[in-house]
Amino acid sequence: MRRPGSGKDRLVVLASLGAGILLWEFGTRRLSPAVAAPFSATMSRLWEMTVSGELPTTLVGSLVLFAVGLGMAVVVALPLGLLLARLPVVRIALSDYIALGNAMPMVALIPFILSLFGLDFGAKVLVVFLFAFFPVLYNTVEGARSIRPELIEVARSFRSGEWAIWRDVMIPAAFPYAMTGVRQAIGRALVGMVAAEFFLSASGIGQLLLISARNFDTAGLFAAVLVITVLGFALMGLGRALEDRFTVWRGTGR
Amino acid sequence: MRAGPAAIGLTASASSRPLGRRLAESSVALKLAGGAFVLGAWEIVVRLLAPAYVAKPSGIFAALPGVVTSAPVLGAAGITLSAVAEGLVIAVVSGVLVGLFMGSLRLAERALSLYVNGLYAMPMVAIVPLLTIWFGYTSAARLATIIFASFFPIAMNVADGARSVPAEYLEVARACRARPHQIWFGITLPSSLPYLIAGIRLAVGRALVGAVVAEFIISVDGLGFYILFQSRTFHHNEALVAVLLLAGFAVVVDAAIDWIVRSRLRWYRAGEKTA
Repeated sequence: MRRPGSGKDRLVVLASLGAGILLWEFGTRRLSPAVAAPFSATMSRLWEMTVSGELPTTLVGSLVLFAVGLGMAVVVALPLGLLLARLPVVRIALSDYIALGNAMPMVALIPFILSLFGLDFGAKVLVVFLFAFFPVLYNTVEGARSIRPELIEVARSFRSGEWAIWRDVMIPAAFPYAMTGVRQAIGRALVGMVAAEFFLSASGIGQLLLISARNFDTAGLFAAVLVITVLGFALMGLGRALEDRFTVWRGTGR
Repeated sequence: MRAGPAAIGLTASASSRPLGRRLAESSVALKLAGGAFVLGAWEIVVRLLAPAYVAKPSGIFAALPGVVTSAPVLGAAGITLSAVAEGLVIAVVSGVLVGLFMGSLRLAERALSLYVNGLYAMPMVAIVPLLTIWFGYTSAARLATIIFASFFPIAMNVADGARSVPAEYLEVARACRARPHQIWFGITLPSSLPYLIAGIRLAVGRALVGAVVAEFIISVDGLGFYILFQSRTFHHNEALVAVLLLAGFAVVVDAAIDWIVRSRLRWYRAGEKTA
């Protein structure tokens, strides 16, 4: 039923992109510029912001925040998840609370972080960290739980040491699930990044969004939204690629 | 100390099979011990390291009865949760229609998937400043945020589901001269129900985040605004009760979906195994 992506498909995507741009351009021309900016105005504002260095600087600031928070979450949550999987008693004791933490709307905790840790870079990293931490932990624990006990028993009967069990059984088996967690964490960390830049000290792309909205600079606002959409799309694609790369390890088809 | 009676109540109602019962008992006890550990660690860390206003379990338990019976909190919870429910209903209806359209027409899928996937990947909080321009600092902006946050996962998942309908079903339907709307709502939609449910699960979490962010920014009444106000005036215990209400809503909705799937959609579980 499914054909591989043909030239015709690509043409349809391009045509739809073109139609979208035309609709944006001519649908907004009659509106007040305080309500919506046409495509051309958005593009020229985007160019202006890029050339002046405003956009690259804010983007770098945001990405540093994103990368530090996400990186710390992965570095902490991944080994912790594997450790929990190796200690079934602790895992059973804590798994419900980890699931609760994963379901929790973290954004509601931002006011607490603000009043406890202030609004500097460290507090913002903590926000991104909290957004990204639980998806990685939750998925790693779930994945490690699915490791068949026989595998570890066999390793044991061949006198594998603890380190060998980790290297040859635990990590390869749980890693694909952990990568699913990392993909989810990428999406959430991006939300955390913007939220932290909104509600703690305004900076980066979040500040750009807030300021252009306050000034009714819709061209600047559309440009910022476009940039963050492209960023989200690219990061999501990166996450999927990462996940697919390691799904092969699951070895059960799919 | 609170755990004692609850543990007895839970284990007494556990399964009557000896082995299953023993397992259930030990895991319930373990989970309660885990909860006691989490709460205890939280209490001790806050008592030792943090100022007195910071939320701790004992403070939350003390604040809980007052907060959940106070009219302003119940009002705020009602406002936020009904906005979330309203937005979700709108998102499900429109998301199902768009998803079915995309999933059954290859051209529509090719043309729209760029926009749906792109806007799904965008962090939805980024749209709130724009929505305040379009809708003002009103509850309409909150509703729009909720719809925006929850529409795309639903449309995307329904489209995926509609694409994976077995071709034989459609051939049989066409051979029997089924009309398009009969195929859509009689075959495609039921067959992609597992995908729709997965989409709704995603959407609920996103809708809650969207509602809270919108309330933080536009300062309209609701649980999010209550949290912001209470934490700014150093009533952290009260604010945390509201956070727990939000998390509780997410958990209850998730459990309700689980229950519906298990009791009404047994075939869905059966299908999941072969898939």
